[in-house]
Amino acid sequence: MILLQDVSKTYYLGEVAVPVLKHISLQINQGEFVAIMGPSGSGKSTLMNIIGCLDVADSGRYMLGGTAIQHMPEAQLATIRNRYIGFVFQSFNLIPRVSALRNVELPMIYAGIDPEIRRQRALTALQIVGLRDRAEHTGANMSGGQQQRVAIARALVNNPQVIIADEPTGALDTHTGQEIMKLFQQLNANGKTIVMVTHEKEIAAYAQRILFVRDGQVIETQLESVVDNSVASK
Amino acid sequence: MIKSGIYKDVFEQALFSLSDNKLRSILSVLGIAVGIGAVMAVGSVTEGIRDFVYHELESYGIRTIWVYRDPDETKDQNRAVRQGSGITNEDYEFFRKSKTCCPALKRVTPQLYWAEQKPVRVGGENHLMNVEGVGVEYLEINNDRLEHGRNLTNNDINRRHPVAILGPAAAEDMYGRTNPMGKTFRYLEQKYTVIGVIKPKSRDIIEKVNADSYDPNKRILIPYTNLQVVFGSKDIHTLLGEAYSLEDTVDAMEQVKTVLERRYTGRFSYKSENMQGWIDNANEYIGKLRMTGLSFAALALFVGGMGIMNIMSTSVIERTREIGIRKALGAQYEDIRFQFLMEATAVSTVGGVIGLVLGIVATYVVGYSTGYGFKPSWSMGVVAILVSAGVGLLSGFFPSRHAARLNPVEALRHE
Repeated sequence: MILLQDVSKTYYLGEVAVPVLKHISLQINQGEFVAIMGPSGSGKSTLMNIIGCLDVADSGRYMLGGTAIQHMPEAQLATIRNRYIGFVFQSFNLIPRVSALRNVELPMIYAGIDPEIRRQRALTALQIVGLRDRAEHTGANMSGGQQQRVAIARALVNNPQVIIADEPTGALDTHTGQEIMKLFQQLNANGKTIVMVTHEKEIAAYAQRILFVRDGQVIETQLESVVDNSVASK
Repeated sequence: MIKSGIYKDVFEQALFSLSDNKLRSILSVLGIAVGIGAVMAVGSVTEGIRDFVYHELESYGIRTIWVYRDPDETKDQNRAVRQGSGITNEDYEFFRKSKTCCPALKRVTPQLYWAEQKPVRVGGENHLMNVEGVGVEYLEINNDRLEHGRNLTNNDINRRHPVAILGPAAAEDMYGRTNPMGKTFRYLEQKYTVIGVIKPKSRDIIEKVNADSYDPNKRILIPYTNLQVVFGSKDIHTLLGEAYSLEDTVDAMEQVKTVLERRYTGRFSYKSENMQGWIDNANEYIGKLRMTGLSFAALALFVGGMGIMNIMSTSVIERTREIGIRKALGAQYEDIRFQFLMEATAVSTVGGVIGLVLGIVATYVVGYSTGYGFKPSWSMGVVAILVSAGVGLLSGFFPSRHAARLNPVEALRHE
């Protein structure tokens, strides 16, 4: 379970304080599929980074599965990311030039898992995303959709509680994007919590719930009004 | 904690770093290679030279000691009047027979010579040779081997036989290519018969180290008793001794001097020498040679190390996003630090291995061209590889720290 209470974050551009998140409180339950939407500059990326333990809030509380994350030093945050969070990025972010298998093994290398087990688990994860036969291919030899599947396998491999997806279909064509979303739905059906940032209504429609971020605040909302708000904000 | 699977990953990434920055890589690897090659070659050659010098010194008897009356005594008004060398045949016999006086002394022989060279005459021709009056132990103390003939015997000594052993250069100067055995020459109006020729001694390196004109190959050795007849006294100029070991030489000198000073209390004082001066000179010479070579090596390694630092800094900047990904996936500070340190070390070790090969080749080339046949020193090889790895660690220090300190959010945002 993800629980944010009164979370604020301010960035400083020189002397100027820019409040990015203002007293946000939200809860995402185990097994939910939530989309975070909002115009650029709204603070949705910062919110995602805090939920993903890449960044920490200035104030407020953040509980991830019963663990208090605020004030954690970077070394512990790295461990939390490694064990409890899987990341999927817009531009896939595979380590260039190394094989799909090695990419998927990477989180397990950092977890210190035995090489033999590591290999087996990486192959299993690749099988889940339908790319077991591409294990030895590098990113350059795969389509965007395939690369994103490898990234999803990598996000899954340490069996995290939460998968954080940042515009996962942003670099894919519509058809491939839909396939990736079906994969997310399948993972969600198997109990994974998914938090996805997107600005596409069609993609957000795959989620069960939508959090709309605007001017550093979160509004729980329906898909229809998101479109309205989104238009209105422009 | 270093995680088990990280090596393969690190090794792959190191190769990518190298191939990404080809020109810089080649220059840096070359710098390291030249430096390590120099370390290897200088180390091997100086080790070879040291072996040669010690071998040469050994061939002169590295455990040799000399004891003689203090020449400064002649400046002393009270003592100068006391004539003589302060050592006689009786003293020599005492040292020779006593089992207890000097535990560090293995054997001893008298040594007599003229202050200035007197000509040796062969068939009307004059030759300048180093004529020395010695005992039967001389050859062994001096590590001389006979090429032909025999050593002096006790009989030769006791009966003052006019016989001589020639150095190889002396034999050639005096008799050309003909066999000198049994030939005769005249020295100080006496006629001597050649009974032996000693093997030549190398003095190549010692000649470079110490500018000494004394040529051991131009020695003529005759019974000291025979030379004493000419001198008209039973004085011995110098006691030439051999200690049991190199470390024993100082003790042996002290023991001989102590005995002599007790036998001549208040009358004479003595001085002694060992090969330490030669060894010091040789070490100084080798040290200078090594310093010159190693300064050059250090410069090359510095240039190479800076090159690697440059490659690694570039690599860290170019791979900022990758570092962000790794951090997002749970890489710790130490994981990133280790990765870039190892990459730097891998690059420098590649240079080190190439340098090792260069150094081995250079050692053989120098050995062949100088005729000394130097061999690569494997202990230097280990040192060279360790040094190259050390250069990698040093030059990777700052880039790896920079990489490990990157903020994951900013790193991921990096284009």
